[in-house]
Amino acid sequence: MAKQQKILVVDDEPINIDVLTGLLKQDYRLIVAKNGARALKAAQSGNPDLVLLDIMMPDMDGYEVCRRLKADESTRDIPVIFITAMNQTDDEALGFELGAADYITKPVSPPILRARVKTQLALTQSRKELEKAYATIKTQKDRMEIELNVGRDIQMSMMPQDFPSGPGSESFSLYARLEAARELGGDFYDFFFLDESTLCFCVGDVSGKGVPAALFMAVTKTLIKSAAGSSRSTAAILSRVNSRLSADNEGCMFVTLFVAICDIHSGAVTYTNAGHNPPYIIDANGSMLRLDTRHGPVAGAMDGIDYREDAVVLKAGDTLLMFTDGVTEATGPSSELFSEARLVGLLEQSAQQEAESLVDSIVSSVHSFEGDAEQADDITVLAFRFHGEQPVDSQAVSVCKTWNGLRTTDEVIAWFETFASAHALDVAIRRKVKLVFDDLLGNVISYAYPDSGVGDITVKLALGNGVLVITLVDDGVPFDPLEKSRPDIDQTVAQRDIGGLGIHLSRELMDEVSYQRRAGQNIVTLETRLAEL
Amino acid sequence: MDILSSKVEGAFVVMPNGRLDTNNAPQAEKLLVENISAGEKRVIFDFSKTDYISSAGLRVILQAAKLVRKDGRVVLCNANEQIYEVLEISGFLDMINYCSDLKGAMQSVSE
Repeated sequence: MAKQQKILVVDDEPINIDVLTGLLKQDYRLIVAKNGARALKAAQSGNPDLVLLDIMMPDMDGYEVCRRLKADESTRDIPVIFITAMNQTDDEALGFELGAADYITKPVSPPILRARVKTQLALTQSRKELEKAYATIKTQKDRMEIELNVGRDIQMSMMPQDFPSGPGSESFSLYARLEAARELGGDFYDFFFLDESTLCFCVGDVSGKGVPAALFMAVTKTLIKSAAGSSRSTAAILSRVNSRLSADNEGCMFVTLFVAICDIHSGAVTYTNAGHNPPYIIDANGSMLRLDTRHGPVAGAMDGIDYREDAVVLKAGDTLLMFTDGVTEATGPSSELFSEARLVGLLEQSAQQEAESLVDSIVSSVHSFEGDAEQADDITVLAFRFHGEQPVDSQAVSVCKTWNGLRTTDEVIAWFETFASAHALDVAIRRKVKLVFDDLLGNVISYAYPDSGVGDITVKLALGNGVLVITLVDDGVPFDPLEKSRPDIDQTVAQRDIGGLGIHLSRELMDEVSYQRRAGQNIVTLETRLAEL
Repeated sequence: MDILSSKVEGAFVVMPNGRLDTNNAPQAEKLLVENISAGEKRVIFDFSKTDYISSAGLRVILQAAKLVRKDGRVVLCNANEQIYEVLEISGFLDMINYCSDLKGAMQSVSE
């Protein structure tokens, strides 16, 4: 049984107090106040659940008591029932205006008093429960929102941001953006090298929104990468991803996909479209080709589908533009759609743009079209622009394929001496390069294969235009020599930190040094001019 | 690739032949540790026969400098242009005496 509720009875006439307490004492705990000032004190300290308040009292009347109760934070929520001999409507109106919960006129009818008191107390109880429930819901809602935001951050961090640049990727540029809607969405893009000259990139859009879409997206992205590891055919990749997604797909979710694999030297692209918005190829003059062919249905919907693929060879200056329906179905303030026509119009004017500025201009154009309207869906745009093979003016290229053996540095240095003699490199260059081999190659041999496995190391020399370019490629653990100095684990003389000095020397002695991690390989490229400028 | 060495007028002169790098640094290190422990406190690195040195070679020099530090001295000499550049880039010229020829080095190491 719940604790007995407490009622404060306020009246200056002892006889009235006796009547009221007599009627209520069986069911409630009662406190009594004989004037306004005492009533206020009792309301504050006694914490009653209800106040029965007489209006006509000397000094401070009931209206004033009510006004003060309602003005005080600690007593504001206690319901007040006026009890008075007066029964004029004006008085009642004033009472309610002051915040009274009810009005009972004397002479008091016992059943009516009991019923109204009970009703008020029940109302108060319900209100308190509602407030409590609301607070609980709000706490849970806040927590859920925080968790969803964390989820979205994780989802966004799955999109690669290290767009290819620098040596080895001069023949193309690739850039992508995903603008997430407020709610978790299912858009994604990805790109990764399958080997030194083969790039796979894709864009997808999972049906629906929220956590299920985000999870399905993460699974799809992983499956594509894994399938691409064992096939260069986008049809085979899609068929495999589809059968994996379709199995146990209780939620009947699906994903639209466009997957492409490109030879970055020739521009040859193999692609498969699984129910995705057709991408465009824009050439340098602004003419456009819509890749309308669909090679199968959306992925994940039905098992056992053999997807098809097509091939196209990009010319220098061609851009392959992929997007999700968040672009074309972006809605402006007047409910008008951004539409594919608008996108095409934009592309026609953007033929000369590089991948990054093209993507940026599409995204900002969509945003300005939306104006103040809330972004309803994820917006994803990926552009791959093929520059073609850059003219290679190297007069001489030599490649040495070796491994992480004890004699490797010596062998590479001997091989280099032969190359240097054949091309009459001066002694200063030779000394610098030998130092670089001793330090950087030595580092790779000592540290890149901690599990003492055999690694493939390739050293390439390219001489042309008065510049010698040295490329060191190894398939050891990721290590960017430019990022930080490797601590020297053999150091016996502790005072001066000598670790990383070799890298420092190489950077100082060479004119350009860059690093990339690509397709499981560390690629360090060093350039030195043959003559001092 | 040998590490040549000789004792000249109370100084221990080390001449890396060809290069001083990962390959022969252990050999040079051993030679120096042995001789310094045996009492050689004046060490000269003569690079007149050295083509290049790498960071492994720098470490050998640093270690020698630390071993003799209290009551001895290490002086470098006869570096070709590239070795000199490496010594400069690495900050070694700020820490260790350098002379252009062996005669100067002999003087410097005896001071």
